[in-house]
Amino acid sequence: MTIATAPQTAATVLQYRDVQKLYGDFVALQGVSMEVKKQQVVCLIGPSGSGKSTLLRCTNALETIDGGEILFDGVRLPKDRTAIRKVRQRMGMVFQNFELFPHKTAIENVIMGPSTVLGLSDEASRDRAEALLKKVGLADKAKNYPANLSGGQQQRVAIARALAMEPEVMLFDEPTSALDPETIGEVLNVMKALADDGMTMIVVTHEMTFARRVADHVVVFERGEIIEQGPPKQIFEAPTTARTRDFLGHLGWDG
Amino acid sequence: MTLDWSIVPASAGALAHGALITIALTVLTMAVAVPCGIVVALLRESRFKPIAFLATCFVELFRNLPIILVVYWAFYVMPVVLDLSFSPFVTGLVALCLNNTAYNSETFRSGIRSIRKGQTEAALAMGMSEGQAFRKIVLPQAWRRVLPVLATTWVTLFKDTSLVSVIAVGDLAHTAMQIRSQSFRVIEMLTAMAAIYWLLGYPQAKLADWIHKKFGVTE
Ligand SMILES: Nc1ncnc2c1ncn2[C@@H]1O[C@H](COP(=O)(O)OP(=O)(O)OP(=O)(O)O)[C@@H](O)[C@H]1O
Ligand SMILES: [Mg+2]
Repeated sequence: MTIATAPQTAATVLQYRDVQKLYGDFVALQGVSMEVKKQQVVCLIGPSGSGKSTLLRCTNALETIDGGEILFDGVRLPKDRTAIRKVRQRMGMVFQNFELFPHKTAIENVIMGPSTVLGLSDEASRDRAEALLKKVGLADKAKNYPANLSGGQQQRVAIARALAMEPEVMLFDEPTSALDPETIGEVLNVMKALADDGMTMIVVTHEMTFARRVADHVVVFERGEIIEQGPPKQIFEAPTTARTRDFLGHLGWDG
Repeated sequence: MTLDWSIVPASAGALAHGALITIALTVLTMAVAVPCGIVVALLRESRFKPIAFLATCFVELFRNLPIILVVYWAFYVMPVVLDLSFSPFVTGLVALCLNNTAYNSETFRSGIRSIRKGQTEAALAMGMSEGQAFRKIVLPQAWRRVLPVLATTWVTLFKDTSLVSVIAVGDLAHTAMQIRSQSFRVIEMLTAMAAIYWLLGYPQAKLADWIHKKFGVTE
Protein backbone atom coordinates (compact mmCIF):
# COMPACT_ATOMS: atom_id res chain seq x y z
CA MET A 1 0.00 0.00 0.00
CA THR A 2 1.59 3.21 -1.13
CA ILE A 3 -1.32 5.61 -1.18
CA ALA A 4 -2.52 7.55 1.76
CA THR A 5 -6.29 7.28 1.84
CA ALA A 6 -8.00 10.60 1.23
CA PRO A 7 -9.02 12.17 4.50
CA GLN A 8 -12.60 11.49 5.48
CA THR A 9 -13.28 15.19 5.65
CA ALA A 10 -12.38 15.76 1.99
CA ALA A 11 -14.98 17.49 -0.11
CA THR A 12 -17.38 15.33 -2.09
CA VAL A 13 -16.80 15.70 -5.84
CA LEU A 14 -19.50 13.37 -7.07
CA GLN A 15 -22.51 12.08 -5.27
CA TYR A 16 -24.89 9.50 -6.73
CA ARG A 17 -28.27 9.17 -5.04
CA ASP A 18 -30.52 6.27 -5.97
CA VAL A 19 -29.59 6.58 -9.65
CA GLN A 20 -31.73 4.71 -12.12
CA LYS A 21 -31.13 4.27 -15.84
CA LEU A 22 -33.48 2.53 -18.26
CA TYR A 23 -33.04 1.49 -21.86
CA GLY A 24 -36.66 0.98 -22.81
CA ASP A 25 -37.84 -1.72 -20.40
CA PHE A 26 -34.32 -2.79 -19.59
CA VAL A 27 -33.03 -1.62 -16.22
CA ALA A 28 -29.36 -0.74 -16.72
CA LEU A 29 -28.89 0.93 -13.32
CA GLN A 30 -31.03 0.64 -10.23
CA GLY A 31 -30.70 2.25 -6.82
CA VAL A 32 -27.09 3.25 -7.33
CA SER A 33 -25.83 5.37 -4.45
CA MET A 34 -22.19 6.16 -3.93
CA GLU A 35 -19.82 9.02 -3.36
CA VAL A 36 -16.48 10.13 -4.76
CA LYS A 37 -14.37 12.44 -2.63
CA LYS A 38 -11.69 14.81 -3.71
CA GLN A 39 -8.43 13.03 -4.53
CA GLN A 40 -10.04 9.64 -4.17
CA VAL A 41 -9.60 6.79 -6.63
CA VAL A 42 -12.81 4.81 -6.92
CA CYS A 43 -12.70 1.56 -8.89
CA LEU A 44 -15.86 0.08 -10.36
CA ILE A 45 -15.71 -3.65 -10.89
CA GLY A 46 -18.24 -6.30 -11.81
CA PRO A 47 -19.22 -8.67 -14.59
CA SER A 48 -19.80 -7.62 -18.18
CA GLY A 49 -23.09 -5.83 -18.71
CA SER A 50 -23.46 -4.89 -15.06
CA GLY A 51 -23.75 -1.16 -15.78
CA LYS A 52 -20.27 0.17 -15.02
CA SER A 53 -19.85 2.00 -18.33
CA THR A 54 -23.40 3.23 -18.12
CA LEU A 55 -22.69 4.89 -14.77
CA LEU A 56 -19.62 6.66 -16.18
CA ARG A 57 -21.57 7.82 -19.22
CA CYS A 58 -24.32 9.17 -16.97
CA THR A 59 -21.69 10.99 -14.93
CA ASN A 60 -20.67 13.24 -17.82
CA ALA A 61 -24.18 13.30 -19.26
CA LEU A 62 -23.43 11.30 -22.39
CA GLU A 63 -26.54 9.50 -21.13
CA THR A 64 -29.40 10.98 -19.14
CA ILE A 65 -30.65 9.27 -15.99
CA ASP A 66 -34.25 8.26 -15.40
CA GLY A 67 -34.34 8.45 -11.64
CA GLY A 68 -32.40 9.68 -8.62
CA GLU A 69 -29.74 12.32 -8.98
CA ILE A 70 -26.06 12.88 -9.60
CA LEU A 71 -24.46 15.85 -7.90
CA PHE A 72 -21.19 17.21 -9.21
CA ASP A 73 -19.48 19.57 -6.80
CA GLY A 74 -22.77 19.75 -4.93
CA VAL A 75 -24.81 20.73 -7.97
CA ARG A 76 -27.23 18.47 -9.80
CA LEU A 77 -26.15 17.63 -13.36
CA PRO A 78 -27.87 20.19 -15.57
CA LYS A 79 -30.22 19.48 -18.45
CA ASP A 80 -29.41 22.57 -20.46
CA ARG A 81 -26.91 21.80 -23.22
CA THR A 82 -24.61 24.74 -22.64
CA ALA A 83 -24.50 23.96 -18.94
CA ILE A 84 -23.75 20.30 -19.69
CA ARG A 85 -20.80 21.36 -21.83
CA LYS A 86 -19.45 23.40 -18.94
CA VAL A 87 -19.69 20.36 -16.68
CA ARG A 88 -18.01 18.10 -19.23
CA GLN A 89 -15.12 20.51 -19.50
CA ARG A 90 -14.43 19.82 -15.84
CA MET A 91 -14.37 16.04 -16.29
CA GLY A 92 -11.90 14.05 -18.38
CA MET A 93 -12.91 10.78 -19.98
CA VAL A 94 -10.74 7.95 -21.23
CA PHE A 95 -12.29 5.27 -23.39
CA GLN A 96 -11.61 1.59 -23.84
CA ASN A 97 -10.89 2.12 -27.56
CA PHE A 98 -8.87 5.31 -26.98
CA GLU A 99 -10.96 7.27 -29.48
CA LEU A 100 -8.05 9.44 -30.49
CA PHE A 101 -8.87 11.57 -33.51
CA PRO A 102 -7.12 9.68 -36.33
CA HIS A 103 -6.81 12.72 -38.60
CA LYS A 104 -4.79 14.60 -35.99
CA THR A 105 -1.28 13.97 -34.70
CA ALA A 106 -0.71 13.06 -31.08
CA ILE A 107 0.02 16.63 -30.10
CA GLU A 108 -2.88 18.01 -32.14
CA ASN A 109 -5.17 15.62 -30.28
CA VAL A 110 -3.99 17.10 -27.01
CA ILE A 111 -4.11 20.70 -28.25
CA MET A 112 -7.68 20.38 -29.47
CA GLY A 113 -9.38 20.71 -26.06
CA PRO A 114 -7.51 23.76 -24.79
CA SER A 115 -7.69 25.58 -28.12
CA THR A 116 -11.20 24.71 -29.32
CA VAL A 117 -13.05 24.37 -26.07
CA LEU A 118 -11.15 26.51 -23.59
CA GLY A 119 -10.17 29.09 -26.18
CA LEU A 120 -6.53 29.23 -25.13
CA SER A 121 -4.03 30.79 -27.52
CA ASP A 122 -2.20 28.45 -29.92
CA GLU A 123 0.98 28.96 -28.00
CA ALA A 124 -0.50 28.30 -24.58
CA SER A 125 -2.31 25.20 -25.90
CA ARG A 126 0.87 23.87 -27.45
CA ASP A 127 2.90 24.46 -24.30
CA ARG A 128 0.32 22.67 -22.24
CA ALA A 129 0.16 19.76 -24.71
CA GLU A 130 3.94 19.40 -24.84
CA ALA A 131 4.16 19.29 -21.06
CA LEU A 132 1.44 16.65 -20.88
CA LEU A 133 2.96 14.44 -23.57
CA LYS A 134 6.19 14.63 -21.65
CA LYS A 135 4.35 13.66 -18.50
CA VAL A 136 2.94 10.51 -20.12
CA GLY A 137 6.36 9.74 -21.60
CA LEU A 138 5.56 10.48 -25.23
CA ALA A 139 7.36 13.75 -25.96
CA ASP A 140 9.17 12.06 -28.85
CA LYS A 141 5.93 10.84 -30.46
CA ALA A 142 4.21 14.23 -30.62
CA LYS A 143 4.11 14.30 -34.42
CA ASN A 144 2.94 10.71 -34.87
CA TYR A 145 -0.54 10.01 -36.10
CA PRO A 146 -2.50 7.58 -33.89
CA ALA A 147 -2.18 4.88 -36.55
CA ASN A 148 1.58 4.97 -35.98
CA LEU A 149 1.37 4.51 -32.22
CA SER A 150 1.01 1.30 -30.23
CA GLY A 151 -2.17 0.76 -28.25
CA GLY A 152 -0.48 1.68 -25.00
CA GLN A 153 0.93 4.85 -26.54
CA GLN A 154 -2.46 5.80 -27.97
CA GLN A 155 -4.08 5.38 -24.60
CA ARG A 156 -1.43 7.53 -22.96
CA VAL A 157 -2.05 10.25 -25.55
CA ALA A 158 -5.76 9.91 -24.79
CA ILE A 159 -5.02 10.43 -21.10
CA ALA A 160 -2.93 13.52 -21.95
CA ARG A 161 -5.78 14.78 -24.12
CA ALA A 162 -8.22 14.47 -21.23
CA LEU A 163 -5.78 16.09 -18.79
CA ALA A 164 -5.32 19.04 -21.15
CA MET A 165 -8.71 20.31 -20.01
CA GLU A 166 -7.36 20.38 -16.44
CA PRO A 167 -10.32 18.36 -15.21
CA GLU A 168 -11.39 18.04 -11.61
CA VAL A 169 -12.17 14.37 -12.05
CA MET A 170 -11.04 11.72 -14.53
CA LEU A 171 -13.34 8.94 -15.71
CA PHE A 172 -11.63 5.83 -17.07
CA ASP A 173 -13.70 3.18 -18.83
CA GLU A 174 -11.63 -0.01 -18.98
CA PRO A 175 -8.58 1.89 -20.19
CA THR A 176 -6.46 -1.24 -20.59
CA SER A 177 -8.99 -3.77 -21.87
CA ALA A 178 -8.11 -3.26 -25.53
CA LEU A 179 -4.36 -3.42 -24.95
CA ASP A 180 -1.76 -6.09 -25.55
CA PRO A 181 -0.54 -7.47 -22.22
CA GLU A 182 2.91 -5.92 -22.73
CA THR A 183 1.54 -2.39 -22.92
CA ILE A 184 -0.98 -2.56 -20.08
CA GLY A 185 1.68 -1.74 -17.52
CA GLU A 186 2.74 1.56 -19.09
CA VAL A 187 -0.84 2.84 -19.00
CA LEU A 188 -1.46 1.66 -15.46
CA ASN A 189 1.77 3.37 -14.38
CA VAL A 190 0.58 6.68 -15.82
CA MET A 191 -2.72 6.26 -14.01
CA LYS A 192 -0.96 5.39 -10.78
CA ALA A 193 1.20 8.51 -11.10
CA LEU A 194 -1.93 10.58 -11.64
CA ALA A 195 -3.49 9.11 -8.54
CA ASP A 196 -0.34 9.87 -6.57
CA ASP A 197 -0.58 13.47 -7.79
CA GLY A 198 -3.97 13.63 -6.13
CA MET A 199 -6.25 13.42 -9.17
CA THR A 200 -9.80 12.38 -8.37
CA MET A 201 -10.53 9.30 -10.48
CA ILE A 202 -13.28 6.82 -11.23
CA VAL A 203 -11.85 3.75 -12.92
CA VAL A 204 -13.86 0.93 -14.43
CA THR A 205 -11.42 -1.94 -14.59
CA HIS A 206 -10.86 -5.65 -14.70
CA GLU A 207 -7.31 -5.13 -13.44
CA MET A 208 -7.83 -6.34 -9.89
CA THR A 209 -4.21 -5.81 -8.90
CA PHE A 210 -4.52 -2.16 -9.87
CA ALA A 211 -7.81 -1.78 -8.01
CA ARG A 212 -6.33 -3.41 -4.99
CA ARG A 213 -3.19 -1.28 -4.96
CA VAL A 214 -4.46 2.09 -6.09
CA ALA A 215 -8.14 2.36 -5.19
CA ASP A 216 -9.35 4.07 -2.05
CA HIS A 217 -12.81 2.69 -2.57
CA VAL A 218 -14.07 -0.24 -4.62
CA VAL A 219 -17.64 -0.60 -5.86
CA VAL A 220 -18.92 -3.96 -7.09
CA PHE A 221 -21.71 -3.93 -9.68
CA GLU A 222 -23.99 -6.71 -10.76
CA ARG A 223 -27.02 -6.39 -13.03
CA GLY A 224 -27.17 -2.64 -12.63
CA GLU A 225 -26.96 -2.65 -8.87
CA ILE A 226 -24.22 -2.11 -6.35
CA ILE A 227 -23.85 -5.36 -4.48
CA GLU A 228 -21.02 -4.25 -2.27
CA GLN A 229 -18.70 -1.30 -1.76
CA GLY A 230 -15.89 -0.48 0.59
CA PRO A 231 -12.13 -0.16 0.92
CA PRO A 232 -10.15 -2.56 -1.28
CA LYS A 233 -8.98 -4.50 1.75
CA GLN A 234 -12.54 -5.38 2.61
CA ILE A 235 -13.64 -6.17 -0.95
CA PHE A 236 -10.67 -8.31 -1.83
CA GLU A 237 -9.90 -9.94 1.48
CA ALA A 238 -13.19 -10.16 3.27
CA PRO A 239 -16.08 -9.62 0.86
CA THR A 240 -19.31 -9.62 2.76
CA THR A 241 -21.51 -10.99 0.01
CA ALA A 242 -21.34 -14.37 -1.66
CA ARG A 243 -21.85 -12.71 -5.03
CA THR A 244 -18.72 -10.59 -4.67
CA ARG A 245 -16.82 -13.74 -3.70
CA ASP A 246 -18.24 -15.50 -6.77
CA PHE A 247 -17.25 -12.66 -9.06
CA LEU A 248 -13.70 -12.43 -7.70
CA GLY A 249 -13.36 -16.21 -7.66
CA HIS A 250 -14.45 -16.21 -11.29
CA LEU A 251 -11.56 -13.91 -12.16
CA GLY A 252 -9.20 -16.27 -10.42
CA TRP A 253 -8.65 -13.80 -7.61
CA ASP A 254 -7.57 -15.68 -4.53
CA GLY A 255 -7.33 -12.83 -2.07
CA MET B 1 -21.25 8.62 -98.72
CA THR B 2 -18.78 11.48 -98.61
CA LEU B 3 -17.53 12.89 -95.38
CA ASP B 4 -16.57 16.52 -95.07
CA TRP B 5 -14.57 17.02 -91.89
CA SER B 6 -14.00 20.71 -92.57
CA ILE B 7 -17.21 21.38 -90.66
CA VAL B 8 -15.42 20.48 -87.45
CA PRO B 9 -12.66 23.11 -87.51
CA ALA B 10 -15.17 25.56 -88.93
CA SER B 11 -17.32 25.06 -85.83
CA ALA B 12 -14.41 25.02 -83.39
CA GLY B 13 -15.39 28.28 -81.74
CA ALA B 14 -18.98 27.22 -81.16
CA LEU B 15 -17.94 23.79 -79.91
CA ALA B 16 -15.40 25.29 -77.51
CA HIS B 17 -18.09 27.60 -76.19
CA GLY B 18 -20.42 24.61 -75.75
CA ALA B 19 -17.68 22.68 -73.96
CA LEU B 20 -17.16 25.62 -71.59
CA ILE B 21 -20.86 25.64 -70.77
CA THR B 22 -20.75 21.90 -70.09
CA ILE B 23 -17.79 22.39 -67.77
CA ALA B 24 -19.48 25.35 -66.07
CA LEU B 25 -22.62 23.28 -65.50
CA THR B 26 -20.59 20.47 -63.94
CA VAL B 27 -18.55 22.75 -61.69
CA LEU B 28 -21.50 24.88 -60.58
CA THR B 29 -23.70 21.86 -59.95
CA MET B 30 -21.08 20.30 -57.70
CA ALA B 31 -20.34 23.62 -56.00
CA VAL B 32 -24.01 23.81 -55.01
CA ALA B 33 -24.78 20.12 -54.54
CA VAL B 34 -21.88 19.32 -52.20
CA PRO B 35 -22.74 21.81 -49.45
CA CYS B 36 -26.45 21.25 -50.01
CA GLY B 37 -25.85 17.50 -49.81
CA ILE B 38 -24.21 17.95 -46.41
CA VAL B 39 -27.11 20.08 -45.20
CA VAL B 40 -29.73 17.60 -46.42
CA ALA B 41 -27.79 14.71 -44.85
CA LEU B 42 -27.81 16.60 -41.53
CA LEU B 43 -31.49 17.47 -41.83
CA ARG B 44 -32.26 13.77 -42.27
CA GLU B 45 -30.62 13.14 -38.90
CA SER B 46 -32.53 16.02 -37.30
CA ARG B 47 -34.11 15.41 -33.92
CA PHE B 48 -37.12 17.33 -35.20
CA LYS B 49 -38.99 14.52 -36.96
CA PRO B 50 -41.01 16.49 -39.55
CA ILE B 51 -37.80 18.05 -40.86
CA ALA B 52 -36.09 14.68 -41.08
CA PHE B 53 -39.13 13.34 -42.89
CA LEU B 54 -39.21 16.16 -45.44
CA ALA B 55 -35.51 15.75 -46.11
CA THR B 56 -36.00 12.03 -46.68
CA CYS B 57 -38.87 12.73 -49.08
CA PHE B 58 -36.68 15.13 -51.02
CA VAL B 59 -33.90 12.60 -51.37
CA GLU B 60 -36.11 9.68 -52.30
CA LEU B 61 -37.97 11.77 -54.84
CA PHE B 62 -35.04 13.24 -56.74
CA ARG B 63 -32.82 10.19 -56.47
CA ASN B 64 -35.41 8.08 -58.17
CA LEU B 65 -36.56 10.36 -60.97
CA PRO B 66 -34.72 10.32 -64.31
CA ILE B 67 -32.73 13.53 -64.63
CA ILE B 68 -34.24 14.31 -67.99
CA LEU B 69 -37.69 14.27 -66.42
CA VAL B 70 -36.54 16.71 -63.73
CA VAL B 71 -35.12 18.89 -66.49
CA TYR B 72 -38.47 18.95 -68.29
CA TRP B 73 -40.33 19.66 -65.08
CA ALA B 74 -37.99 22.48 -64.21
CA PHE B 75 -38.46 23.92 -67.68
CA TYR B 76 -42.20 23.53 -68.20
CA VAL B 77 -43.79 23.09 -64.80
CA MET B 78 -41.70 25.16 -62.40
CA PRO B 79 -42.51 28.48 -64.16
CA VAL B 80 -46.24 27.72 -64.01
CA VAL B 81 -46.52 26.24 -60.53
CA LEU B 82 -43.93 28.27 -58.66
CA ASP B 83 -44.07 31.29 -60.90
CA LEU B 84 -40.30 31.05 -61.26
CA SER B 85 -38.76 31.27 -64.65
CA PHE B 86 -35.07 31.31 -65.35
CA SER B 87 -32.88 31.19 -68.40
CA PRO B 88 -32.43 27.68 -69.84
CA PHE B 89 -28.94 27.57 -68.32
CA VAL B 90 -30.16 28.29 -64.80
CA THR B 91 -33.13 25.97 -65.26
CA GLY B 92 -30.82 23.15 -66.30
CA LEU B 93 -28.56 23.95 -63.37
CA VAL B 94 -31.48 23.78 -60.94
CA ALA B 95 -32.49 20.36 -62.26
CA LEU B 96 -28.96 18.99 -62.05
CA CYS B 97 -28.55 20.43 -58.56
CA LEU B 98 -31.74 18.80 -57.31
CA ASN B 99 -30.65 15.41 -58.56
CA ASN B 100 -27.06 15.72 -57.35
CA THR B 101 -27.96 17.14 -53.96
CA ALA B 102 -30.09 14.06 -53.39
CA TYR B 103 -27.25 11.78 -54.43
CA ASN B 104 -24.57 13.62 -52.49
CA SER B 105 -26.67 13.68 -49.34
CA GLU B 106 -26.75 9.88 -49.44
CA THR B 107 -23.01 9.83 -49.98
CA PHE B 108 -22.44 12.11 -47.01
CA ARG B 109 -24.92 10.28 -44.84
CA SER B 110 -23.17 6.95 -45.25
CA GLY B 111 -19.78 8.65 -44.89
CA ILE B 112 -20.84 10.31 -41.65
CA ARG B 113 -22.39 7.09 -40.36
CA SER B 114 -19.19 5.19 -41.05
CA ILE B 115 -17.43 7.26 -38.38
CA ARG B 116 -17.70 5.49 -35.03
CA LYS B 117 -20.04 7.05 -32.50
CA GLY B 118 -17.18 6.97 -30.01
CA GLN B 119 -15.46 9.73 -31.99
CA THR B 120 -18.36 12.12 -31.44
CA GLU B 121 -18.58 11.04 -27.82
CA ALA B 122 -14.89 11.69 -27.27
CA ALA B 123 -15.39 15.19 -28.68
CA LEU B 124 -18.52 15.82 -26.59
CA ALA B 125 -16.79 14.48 -23.49
CA MET B 126 -14.15 17.20 -23.95
CA GLY B 127 -16.91 19.76 -23.82
CA MET B 128 -17.26 20.46 -27.53
CA SER B 129 -20.69 21.39 -28.83
CA GLU B 130 -22.37 19.00 -31.24
CA GLY B 131 -21.61 21.43 -34.05
CA GLN B 132 -17.92 21.55 -33.17
CA ALA B 133 -17.78 17.76 -32.86
CA PHE B 134 -19.30 17.45 -36.32
CA ARG B 135 -17.16 20.07 -38.04
CA LYS B 136 -13.84 19.29 -36.41
CA ILE B 137 -14.02 15.56 -35.81
CA VAL B 138 -16.67 13.80 -37.88
CA LEU B 139 -16.66 15.72 -41.15
CA PRO B 140 -12.88 15.72 -41.75
CA GLN B 141 -12.85 11.95 -41.29
CA ALA B 142 -15.97 11.43 -43.37
CA TRP B 143 -14.37 13.36 -46.26
CA ARG B 144 -11.89 10.57 -46.82
CA ARG B 145 -14.71 8.11 -47.35
CA VAL B 146 -16.84 10.54 -49.28
CA LEU B 147 -14.26 11.88 -51.70
CA PRO B 148 -13.93 8.77 -53.90
CA VAL B 149 -17.70 8.54 -54.24
CA LEU B 150 -17.96 12.24 -55.08
CA ALA B 151 -15.28 11.74 -57.73
CA THR B 152 -17.37 9.04 -59.39
CA THR B 153 -20.45 11.23 -59.14
CA TRP B 154 -18.51 14.05 -60.77
CA VAL B 155 -17.51 11.89 -63.76
CA THR B 156 -21.10 10.76 -64.21
CA LEU B 157 -22.39 14.29 -63.82
CA PHE B 158 -20.05 15.59 -66.51
CA LYS B 159 -21.69 13.26 -69.00
CA ASP B 160 -25.20 13.73 -67.61
CA THR B 161 -25.07 17.47 -68.18
CA SER B 162 -25.76 16.61 -71.82
CA LEU B 163 -29.35 15.89 -70.74
CA VAL B 164 -30.04 19.60 -70.32
CA SER B 165 -29.53 20.05 -74.06
CA VAL B 166 -33.21 19.12 -74.44
CA ILE B 167 -34.17 22.54 -73.10
CA ALA B 168 -31.74 24.36 -75.39
CA VAL B 169 -29.02 25.12 -72.91
CA GLY B 170 -26.05 25.93 -75.13
CA ASP B 171 -23.89 23.12 -73.74
CA LEU B 172 -21.61 20.93 -75.84
CA ALA B 173 -24.28 18.39 -76.76
CA HIS B 174 -26.82 21.03 -77.71
CA THR B 175 -24.29 23.05 -79.72
CA ALA B 176 -23.11 20.00 -81.65
CA MET B 177 -26.67 18.92 -82.39
CA GLN B 178 -27.53 22.41 -83.61
CA ILE B 179 -24.59 22.46 -86.01
CA ARG B 180 -25.52 18.98 -87.16
CA SER B 181 -29.06 19.96 -88.03
CA GLN B 182 -27.96 23.09 -89.87
CA SER B 183 -25.13 21.44 -91.83
CA PHE B 184 -26.54 17.91 -92.18
CA ARG B 185 -23.05 16.67 -91.27
CA VAL B 186 -24.38 14.01 -88.90
CA ILE B 187 -21.49 11.59 -88.68
CA GLU B 188 -18.88 14.31 -88.55
CA MET B 189 -20.56 16.21 -85.74
CA LEU B 190 -21.45 13.13 -83.70
CA THR B 191 -17.86 11.96 -84.01
CA ALA B 192 -16.48 15.36 -83.04
CA MET B 193 -18.86 15.49 -80.11
CA ALA B 194 -17.83 12.01 -78.94
CA ALA B 195 -14.17 12.92 -79.26
CA ILE B 196 -14.55 16.12 -77.23
CA TYR B 197 -16.59 14.46 -74.47
CA TRP B 198 -14.08 11.65 -74.32
CA LEU B 199 -11.01 13.88 -74.31
CA LEU B 200 -12.47 15.97 -71.52
CA GLY B 201 -13.96 13.05 -69.61
CA TYR B 202 -11.01 10.66 -69.72
CA PRO B 203 -8.62 12.72 -67.56
CA GLN B 204 -11.43 13.25 -65.06
CA ALA B 205 -12.06 9.53 -64.91
CA LYS B 206 -8.34 8.91 -64.39
CA LEU B 207 -8.28 11.50 -61.64
CA ALA B 208 -11.24 9.77 -60.02
CA ASP B 209 -9.38 6.45 -60.21
CA TRP B 210 -6.40 8.06 -58.53
CA ILE B 211 -8.60 9.46 -55.77
CA HIS B 212 -10.10 6.01 -55.28
CA LYS B 213 -6.64 4.53 -54.94
CA LYS B 214 -5.42 7.21 -52.61
CA PHE B 215 -8.42 7.39 -50.30
CA GLY B 216 -10.44 4.30 -51.09
CA VAL B 217 -9.05 1.42 -49.08
CA THR B 218 -6.87 2.92 -46.37
CA GLU B 219 -8.14 2.95 -42.81
N1 LIG C 1 -27.68 2.20 -25.76
C1 LIG C 1 -28.12 1.09 -25.15
N2 LIG C 1 -29.32 0.57 -25.47
C2 LIG C 1 -29.77 -0.55 -24.86
N3 LIG C 1 -29.11 -1.22 -23.92
C3 LIG C 1 -27.91 -0.76 -23.55
C4 LIG C 1 -27.34 0.43 -24.15
N4 LIG C 1 -26.14 0.65 -23.59
C5 LIG C 1 -25.95 -0.35 -22.69
N5 LIG C 1 -27.02 -1.17 -22.67
C6 LIG C 1 -27.18 -2.35 -21.79
O1 LIG C 1 -26.99 -1.95 -20.47
C7 LIG C 1 -26.30 -2.95 -19.75
C8 LIG C 1 -25.12 -2.34 -19.04
O2 LIG C 1 -24.16 -1.97 -20.01
P1 LIG C 1 -22.74 -1.40 -19.64
O3 LIG C 1 -22.08 -1.11 -20.90
O4 LIG C 1 -22.90 -0.30 -18.66
O5 LIG C 1 -22.05 -2.66 -18.94
P2 LIG C 1 -20.58 -2.76 -18.37
O6 LIG C 1 -20.71 -3.08 -16.94
O7 LIG C 1 -19.80 -1.58 -18.75
O8 LIG C 1 -20.04 -4.05 -19.13
P3 LIG C 1 -18.61 -4.34 -19.78
O9 LIG C 1 -17.73 -4.83 -18.70
O10 LIG C 1 -18.91 -5.41 -20.79
O11 LIG C 1 -18.14 -3.08 -20.41
C9 LIG C 1 -25.92 -4.03 -20.74
O12 LIG C 1 -26.80 -5.11 -20.59
C10 LIG C 1 -26.10 -3.39 -22.07
O13 LIG C 1 -26.53 -4.33 -23.02
MG1 LIG D 1 -18.25 -1.24 -20.14
